[in-house]
Amino acid sequence: MGPYPLGSSTAASGWAAADSGPQCSASEIDGLLAGAGYRVRSSDLLHVAHSLERLESAMGGAPAGYLASAEAVHYNPSDLAAWVHSILSELSPSLPPLRPPLAAPVAETWPDPTCFSSPYQQNQMAVVVATRQREEEEGSAIRLVHLLVSCADAVQRGDSGLAGNIIAEMRVVLTRVNAGFGIGKVAGYFVDALCRRIYSPCSSSSCSASVAGSAADQEILYHHFYEISPYLKFAHFMANQAILEAFDGYDRVHVIDFNLMHGLQWPALIQALALRAGGPPFLRLTGIGQPSPDGRDALREVGLRLAELALSVRVRFAFRGVAASRIDDVRPWMLQVVPGEAVAVNSVLQLHRLLGDPGDDAAAPIDSVLGWVVGIRPKIVTVVEQEADHNRPAFLDRFAEALFYYSTMFDSLEARRGAAQQQQQAVAEVYLQREICNIVSCEGTARVERHEPLVRWRARLGGAGLRAVHLGSNAFKQASMLLTLFSGEGYCVEEVDGCLTLGWHSRPLISASAWRADDDVAPLPDSQLFDPSIDATINVDASQQRQQ
Amino acid sequence: MVVPLNTWVLISNFKLAYNMLRRPDGTFNRHLAEFLDRKVPANVFPANGVISFDLVIDRQTTLLARIYRPAPSTASDSPRPSLHADLRSPPSPDPFPVIIFFHGGSFAHSSFNSAIYDSLCRRFVLLCGAVVISVNYRRSPEYRYPCAYDDGWTALKWASTEPWLHSGKDAKLRVFLSGDSSGGNIAHHVAVRAAELGIEVSGNILLNPMFGGNRRTESEKRLDGKYFVTVQDRDWYWKAFLPEGADRDHPACNPFGPNGMKLEELPFTKTLVTVAGLDLSQDWQLAYAEGLKEAGHDVKLVYRDQATIGFYFLPNTEHFYEVMEEIKNFVSSNCW
Repeated sequence: MGPYPLGSSTAASGWAAADSGPQCSASEIDGLLAGAGYRVRSSDLLHVAHSLERLESAMGGAPAGYLASAEAVHYNPSDLAAWVHSILSELSPSLPPLRPPLAAPVAETWPDPTCFSSPYQQNQMAVVVATRQREEEEGSAIRLVHLLVSCADAVQRGDSGLAGNIIAEMRVVLTRVNAGFGIGKVAGYFVDALCRRIYSPCSSSSCSASVAGSAADQEILYHHFYEISPYLKFAHFMANQAILEAFDGYDRVHVIDFNLMHGLQWPALIQALALRAGGPPFLRLTGIGQPSPDGRDALREVGLRLAELALSVRVRFAFRGVAASRIDDVRPWMLQVVPGEAVAVNSVLQLHRLLGDPGDDAAAPIDSVLGWVVGIRPKIVTVVEQEADHNRPAFLDRFAEALFYYSTMFDSLEARRGAAQQQQQAVAEVYLQREICNIVSCEGTARVERHEPLVRWRARLGGAGLRAVHLGSNAFKQASMLLTLFSGEGYCVEEVDGCLTLGWHSRPLISASAWRADDDVAPLPDSQLFDPSIDATINVDASQQRQQ
Repeated sequence: MVVPLNTWVLISNFKLAYNMLRRPDGTFNRHLAEFLDRKVPANVFPANGVISFDLVIDRQTTLLARIYRPAPSTASDSPRPSLHADLRSPPSPDPFPVIIFFHGGSFAHSSFNSAIYDSLCRRFVLLCGAVVISVNYRRSPEYRYPCAYDDGWTALKWASTEPWLHSGKDAKLRVFLSGDSSGGNIAHHVAVRAAELGIEVSGNILLNPMFGGNRRTESEKRLDGKYFVTVQDRDWYWKAFLPEGADRDHPACNPFGPNGMKLEELPFTKTLVTVAGLDLSQDWQLAYAEGLKEAGHDVKLVYRDQATIGFYFLPNTEHFYEVMEEIKNFVSSNCW
């Protein structure tokens, strides 16, 4: 039993400022409180302490104080100074303003896993291992995980002979487990993906498309995944909440959806806008999506359906489709942003597709896209991403992360087994299986499922000139209540520094965050935003633009 | 007052938040509670030599536990998780302690993945070379007595069926039951059940355990509202946990009170109890230690004169380090 890490012992007398603890925290932040989940500048401790005392006396008139604080909407409890201040100002409005809020610590490089106990800088690989079924199945399941990891290791080292042998062995073990659910099923998908990597690897967009299937197929899979699990519903709900709030007071609003699909997110927003106090605004929706190969205009069809709904609830509505194979083919002028309208940019599981290999010096598409997003001065940018680290440089790391992530994800789907939903579930699982396949068997531009965790997104979005708009306790409560509609009591919503995550059994799986442009970022010149000569209803094929 | 500033801020913040969550009608603002609680995920990447992972240890009640253990050793010194080694393999060929930990929160607050408890459990791993199992027991007022005790018992039973937790030539589970505040109360009651049913427990480690009773003790009157805690809030939590209509002389709350159980005949385990001198519940905690002694059981009382509740959350006082030493010695002398 070796020595445990000792901070310096301080037998403090009076209110001495404590030492700051682990070296790896930002130097001005109290390291011990950081370990407890709170960010407070050491120099602010005294002030926060006094505020807490004042709050105590303010709440001393018990029922009124309690009610006011309970009914208030709370934001970002980790920023303790701001949180205390916000409650104080609820109770006694004539307060002097606070210092500028503490920005969340940003991970500039890959987080150092040896940094002790700081929730913000630790490299998290949360594991939720499903409970045992039977003794021998448990043993086989463990064996499968070992083999999978050994295989991935062999692949990383370039030993395809060994990898092939391990795959053969895994196929044998798979016959001994219930491959219909649990680890057996997930392992099966990973074995298939490894096989594909070794025997028919894929590193260009053209072959990746064949792996992914057609856009129409993808939409169907997405729709099933949406129906059978709360993840996308949570995503849409959180994003719509933030958009609604950002649109408050604006008469002309414009939503730019980075991936329209069947437009599942938008009926709820349209209806909420219809019920808005003071009447609905004029809503424009620009939906970006894949080009339709067969001459069908899929985007326009979705637009028409949404227009019918908007008409039925008396919301003035205009739709525009932008067909593009990749978001980075889109140019701002295609979106036709009109001066004076409030713009919301909505990205559900799209930004990660624009990332490159980490550490690669060439500018990744994400930078140019974030550049113009910020340039159009959106009132709100809603970002939903998988809460996972699937873009790590080393293959084995990505593989291991994905194995645990998708095990948890599949576990959550299985928990709500109803006979009627089994077929839907099977289709939803194909949706996830394709993600697994892309992560494991594709490389280069073909690998688009480059999920990165929230802490990395914060750094990127912050660096691009976006500031976080905190999702508060109100959104949290509504999300939690939404989850009670789903059986399978394992879903959990968590607040992390102003963002909300939805997870299964304590493992966050998806995150929702909201952002706005920093005030000191220069907007794009109007000439880049709005070309009055273009008819607002024409689809622009961005790939054709590229060829010109 | 000898409280470091950051500790004062931390505990005051909890007090403030908790005041908002308890409603006068006995209900609890669970959504706001979960929103405010600072949680951390498990992490199989070694951090200071400790890894953690979560397990569902009972599907029926969806009982979750977080397992903390020394990072499995690998040939290379790489910081990546050693997935080649089974997460559920013994950390050592020699006897090692298994500490089942119940977090505090007066039966209503916090979770197994609350940041403050994650830190504490990690520390126990390093301190004692232990595998620590932190149990996400059901909380009141949604789940009253005896749910938390049942969950504690489930965790103990689960541990007793895990081969990798059994160590030494005699392949024994060297288990310690531990907790702070309500967690300490749970640890006691699980230990009673263990003694009744013949499961051997190597020791109990109770940090400022939560006990009470109908009468108002001297320390409650003297310290009411002085150091973060009020008698009124204690009453609220007992009312929320105990069965409807029960009073604080219910044996769950007052194990050595008028309705208490006689422990003389039982092979009850050894106990280490810490009591903070600025905790208004200390008279009940001291009475608890006395009750164990009078029943003929081994108890070591560690009384920290100028300590407040929650002194074990931040490593910034002598109370913290000296109590950790006591725990380390208690575990090592009862695990062989």
